[in-house]
Amino acid sequence: MKKYGLFLGCNMPALRPDVERAIRLTLPGLGVELVDLEGSVCCPAFGTFPSSDEIASLTINAWNLSIAEAKGVDPIVECGSCYSSLRSGQTKLLEDEGKRKRVNKLLEIAGKKFEGTAKAHHMIDVLYNEVGPRKICSAITKTLGGINAVVQYPCHTLFPSEIVGFDNPGRPHMLMELVEALGANVQTFSRELQCCGGAGGFTHGAHVDAVKYAKKRFDAIKQETSAELIVVSCITCLMHLDEMQKELNKQGSGDEYSIPVFDYNQILAICMGFEPKEVASISFIPRNSILERL
Amino acid sequence: MIDLSKANKHLWREITDESGDIRNCFNCGTCVSGCPAAEAEPPLLIRRLARMVLLGLEEELLEEGTPWICVTCAACEEMCPMGVHPFEVCLAIRRWQSKKDETYIPTAVTQLFQEGHTQPVGKAQGLRRSVGLEEVPPTIVKFPDLLDKFQTMLRETELVRENDYLFRV
Repeated sequence: MKKYGLFLGCNMPALRPDVERAIRLTLPGLGVELVDLEGSVCCPAFGTFPSSDEIASLTINAWNLSIAEAKGVDPIVECGSCYSSLRSGQTKLLEDEGKRKRVNKLLEIAGKKFEGTAKAHHMIDVLYNEVGPRKICSAITKTLGGINAVVQYPCHTLFPSEIVGFDNPGRPHMLMELVEALGANVQTFSRELQCCGGAGGFTHGAHVDAVKYAKKRFDAIKQETSAELIVVSCITCLMHLDEMQKELNKQGSGDEYSIPVFDYNQILAICMGFEPKEVASISFIPRNSILERL
Repeated sequence: MIDLSKANKHLWREITDESGDIRNCFNCGTCVSGCPAAEAEPPLLIRRLARMVLLGLEEELLEEGTPWICVTCAACEEMCPMGVHPFEVCLAIRRWQSKKDETYIPTAVTQLFQEGHTQPVGKAQGLRRSVGLEEVPPTIVKFPDLLDKFQTMLRETELVRENDYLFRV
């Protein structure tokens, strides 16, 4: 059984713990053992220390990675930005001895040390490359039975491919195949490979434009596909695509935008027979249209 | 007309550290073509920011709020044909601005320092209980001694040292 350290980040344990529950329930059943990374902190998010002090930022990356190193495991991460921040921090520290020394001097104050041996893995990477669609197929007790779906690839798992890549950055397919393994019919649409728009400062700094940007994506999904659900594998994609539909409905009339959004581990958990109440209970756009059919 | 009399010709060195790749930028615009924040008004135009850095337009760049609407998707980083690392340039500009003018320092930095997280991870007990999880997750919120050490460590960084009034607990 392959063992990983579950890196929680901030949004998942605070705002969407049903996703954390889904991860903790599904992975052991697929042969992936999870251990906790006690004392971990924010990755750090790009809008925090990476935007104000590089050495402090790398030190926080190293803090988190050192916890995994001490346990002899690699971190497994669902959040796209956490994954990218940890990968990028590790790369910079391994490439630059000067920065590595400065960071280790700071870590010493807290009794920690960064060696660079733990490498973050994204959830899609582990589910596709370690577990594999075939094993997932045989582990589920319910299938999506041809329900039409679209997927949102987390941009932080695609770019820059040199640092974060495990899928084909120009033509990713792993999340699609994982969703197909649950029996869904995955459709594609023109804006599929664009960032959801939820990360960074776009939504806060240019809210009206960010809502317009999101509307284009949902209109493309509605016009080009017959999707009944959106599957993501990033907490930001999950929260943003859910919240933006609520906001668009508030601006318009009724519930024009009402495609339920699921994190992959949530829909996987339901297909494995776990309770929706525990693994998929938090959302603005109701999920009943899907849950009632399973 | 751009007035270069007040330009700082060493600005690119100050901002982009030792990488120096920014000098390869010839303003092709690939970084802008796939950028979600380029759809904002005013738009984030990375190539324009790179030009400002290279020309040394210090005063103008310090007034520029657009680096902060970047979505961090790093599509520009992938697509740039000249190896400029536009996303890294964007973050470097933010750091330079934060250093020159502390009002640029994001409030989330203070929250991360104080709580170890940018969301109320330690205050989600009810929600966590309702989905069958332990009420306080095993992150730093569960280990107050460790949070002290985290803060002691960060107090030795330049940002916290020079802006200590922002980092009181």
